[in-house]
Amino acid sequence: MEIWRVKDELVCTRRAPGLKSASLRVLQGQRGNIEVATDPVGAPVGKWVFTTLGSAARIAMPDATVTTDLTICGIIEGWEE
Amino acid sequence: MRIMRVEKTLVSTNRIDSFGHRPLLVVQDKPGGTRSVAVDAVGCVPGDWVICVGSSAAREAAGSKDFPSDLTIVGIIDRWNAEG
Repeated sequence: MEIWRVKDELVCTRRAPGLKSASLRVLQGQRGNIEVATDPVGAPVGKWVFTTLGSAARIAMPDATVTTDLTICGIIEGWEE
Repeated sequence: MRIMRVEKTLVSTNRIDSFGHRPLLVVQDKPGGTRSVAVDAVGCVPGDWVICVGSSAAREAAGSKDFPSDLTIVGIIDRWNAEG
């Protein structure tokens, strides 16, 4: 699992049916890289989170049929970078 | 499989249900390198050099095919020369 900071919420109204109504977050990685992840946790902006990728990202969603490849698994407490 | 060093435990109370209370560890591929989070399937302590599996093997190694891990520690290396 990778470590990220939640940079922003992402509003995306027009989307593929497979993405359903999953909430999305913009994440910034440890090297400044930007990715979008589905968020079943409800992570607020500014928090550090960890994500799972690939097929595990789909299992991590409450609905495993959502077509995602990156899902937030939890909010990290007491992380200093 | 990747060789990683265990740095510390990761504290995360607000996590998805399928992770349960499994211990999570912060691992690094080299000192000062990028940090990742791994599920601990063996019981290691900070400072250990370990081997980690990724992708779908990580899910099975963590206990079941429905466990959403993409990095799982599957072994502790007895002796490892980091400079070598």
